Amino acid sequence: MQCKGRLLSLTLAAFALAANAENLTGTILVKKNLTRRRVTPSVSLYQRGTPVELGNDAETDPIAYERSRVVVWIEGPVAAGVADSVAPGPLPQVAQLNRRFSPDLLVIPAGSVVSFPNMDPIFHNVFSLSRAKSFDLGSFDQGQSRRVTFAKAGIVDVYCHLHPNMEATIVVTPNRWFARVDASGHYTIRDLPPGRYTVVAWHKYAGFFRKTITVEAGKDAAADFFIPLQADSEEGE
Amino acid sequence: MTTRFQTRTFLLCFIPFAVLLTGSFWAIQGFVESNVREGLRASLRDNQAALAGMRARSDLENSRFVKVAGENASLKAGIQLVLSHPHNPQARTTLEDQLRELGEHMGFDFFLVSGPNGAPLAGVVRQSLGKEPGQLAPFDTTHLEGMKAGLVMLDRRPVEIASVSIDQADENLGSLSIGEFFSFSGLASPAALLHNGTVLAADVPGISAERLAASFAGCDPASECDLRINDSSWLSAPLQAWNGGYLLRSLVSVDAAMAPIQARLHHLFVTLALICTLIVFLSSLLSARSIVGPIAAMVSHLRKAASTGVLARFDGTPSPIQEVRELSQIYNDAAAAVSAYGEKLQGAYLEFVGSLASALDARDPYTSGHSHRVSQLSCAVATAMKLPAAEIERVRIGALLHDIGKIGIADRVLQKAGRLTDEEWTLIKQHPVIGRRILEGVNGFAPYLAAVELHHENWDGTGYPLRQSGDLTPIEARIIHVADAFDAMTTDRSYRSAMSHERALSIIRGNAGSQFDPRIAAVFLNLAPEILEGAGSQACCGDELALAVGD
Repeated sequence: MQCKGRLLSLTLAAFALAANAENLTGTILVKKNLTRRRVTPSVSLYQRGTPVELGNDAETDPIAYERSRVVVWIEGPVAAGVADSVAPGPLPQVAQLNRRFSPDLLVIPAGSVVSFPNMDPIFHNVFSLSRAKSFDLGSFDQGQSRRVTFAKAGIVDVYCHLHPNMEATIVVTPNRWFARVDASGHYTIRDLPPGRYTVVAWHKYAGFFRKTITVEAGKDAAADFFIPLQADSEEGE
Repeated sequence: MTTRFQTRTFLLCFIPFAVLLTGSFWAIQGFVESNVREGLRASLRDNQAALAGMRARSDLENSRFVKVAGENASLKAGIQLVLSHPHNPQARTTLEDQLRELGEHMGFDFFLVSGPNGAPLAGVVRQSLGKEPGQLAPFDTTHLEGMKAGLVMLDRRPVEIASVSIDQADENLGSLSIGEFFSFSGLASPAALLHNGTVLAADVPGISAERLAASFAGCDPASECDLRINDSSWLSAPLQAWNGGYLLRSLVSVDAAMAPIQARLHHLFVTLALICTLIVFLSSLLSARSIVGPIAAMVSHLRKAASTGVLARFDGTPSPIQEVRELSQIYNDAAAAVSAYGEKLQGAYLEFVGSLASALDARDPYTSGHSHRVSQLSCAVATAMKLPAAEIERVRIGALLHDIGKIGIADRVLQKAGRLTDEEWTLIKQHPVIGRRILEGVNGFAPYLAAVELHHENWDGTGYPLRQSGDLTPIEARIIHVADAFDAMTTDRSYRSAMSHERALSIIRGNAGSQFDPRIAAVFLNLAPEILEGAGSQACCGDELALAVGD
């Protein structure tokens, strides 16, 4: 109730500020735990060894975790005349901490600069071979940082050459109208000008789900997504 | 030492049995032990072969793991990182961290990365937390330079290691060594790990490493050998050797392998020994009884002979044993010879007695033949009284000797014509006592002493020398008393002529109950007249000896 109330008040506030912009809300329904949240390689690879949990998330509800791993954004250009600039502030960063990328999912609008500070007492290497942005920052030790500018929208997978189990995903959206889904499965994209859009819901192991919606003035729009059951997508990796 | 025949036969039967049994027991035990030893040797060799095969497979497997690990791209990156930052501790930590992670996945205990020049770059080894294996942790790698494969001691723990070269696009980055703590767990038998004669580790329960090292002292490292550890016998064979003098030897306890067989053997032999003892006991008992039985019968016969003085013929059941039969035969022969000799002796003795009586009679013409006649008469009375034969004999010989004491009486008294003075009578009355004294000293005359001494005792106690009365005087003396009186009365004397038989008999009848035993007097009075005449003497006690004496 509290959450709903807060959402409502936020919506009202946004509506008051920009009368010609509406909110897009929706619910994401995930039916299966799609992400294998394991930091170690599968046992089958080394018969002799025993996998050792090097770290684990304290999440209790795996479905809630999956929901929080979904990113929603508006595809294509949004009507002109609406502000599409990156909000100023501290640089978004993907740190290397405890032999993991932190955070391991980052959403930024195209043109953002991301810093990659190494906070571990060991060397890390940051590289990506993705189409949206391919880079290799080389190996650097504690306290050092590297910066990368992501100009092109797309999904960028980031790895560490020294630690194969480290991975992070940076979702570079074409515009600033994007949202992370919360643990309960709700998302809100605010201040969306009226018009006809393609809404994209993306989950790393489930892929892209698109829906076309029409936002009318003075009316909130909604787009619900159902992320379907899918065979273990990670299995073949 | 005297033993019973039964004990002797038992021992004589049992000792060879026992010796044979013990001998065969030792022989069989020795044979079994050598067989067991041979079997253990074979099993040791099999173990060795099996272990070699296992090790080969395991080495192959390990080499695959090592190769897989050596192709690890991130590890290569880590090595390159360390090579490019040679003095950066974080670079080394990064590599150690990688090794640790790799090691935890693969389950090995030891990882070491060396550079292209062989110098160790980083290494991790599993920490031990008591018995539980701990985590991998970095360690000081400086003394491990150039270590490629084999056995290495790390913190007093043996580690078996294997190495692989790590190459990146024709460039050698160094090498990776992977190892495991040496463990006895895969070995079927107890084993010991030795290094130049010292025992590094051992898996022999209950035996200390020092003891083992001492036992291995005289053992050729390359071959099998027999050991004595804590007074028990062991076999040892080399299982595996590594560079640097490390040697793995397996051990097997011969005694432990022998124990169940030995227990069964012991059981078997104890049972056998008991059965044998029983058989020996029974058979010795039977054989002893078959021998002892007849001998015992003979012994009791002899004992009886010893108590009776009569060596009688042995008429037991003839024994089936030849020797015993011969023994009883010989005994019977001996008994016959002894009794023949006894009879002969008896004859000689009677002859002597007869001649003594004759000599006495010959001293006085009036008493000529007196002793013989008294003997005949007494014998007739005894026979008529149906006395036992031995008693009749005693009466007869006693009568022959009854006046022997007169040898000690002077001729002038004995042959005096006319009445004797009181003094002379006193002398005459000495003759029974003198006779007794004469015969007392002679062996074999004891039965006749009473006849000689007491033949003048009267029934009413008025006789001499003891003035005994009635039954106190032995029967032979009483009989002789009657017969002596009758013969004295019916023969001539220097001082009177012979009385008639009738008169003599009437005197006897008159003195029955006073001078004579009335019963004997009655018997005497009933004797046939021919006997009193001396003609029937032969019918009564007419043995040839008496005749011979009479001649």
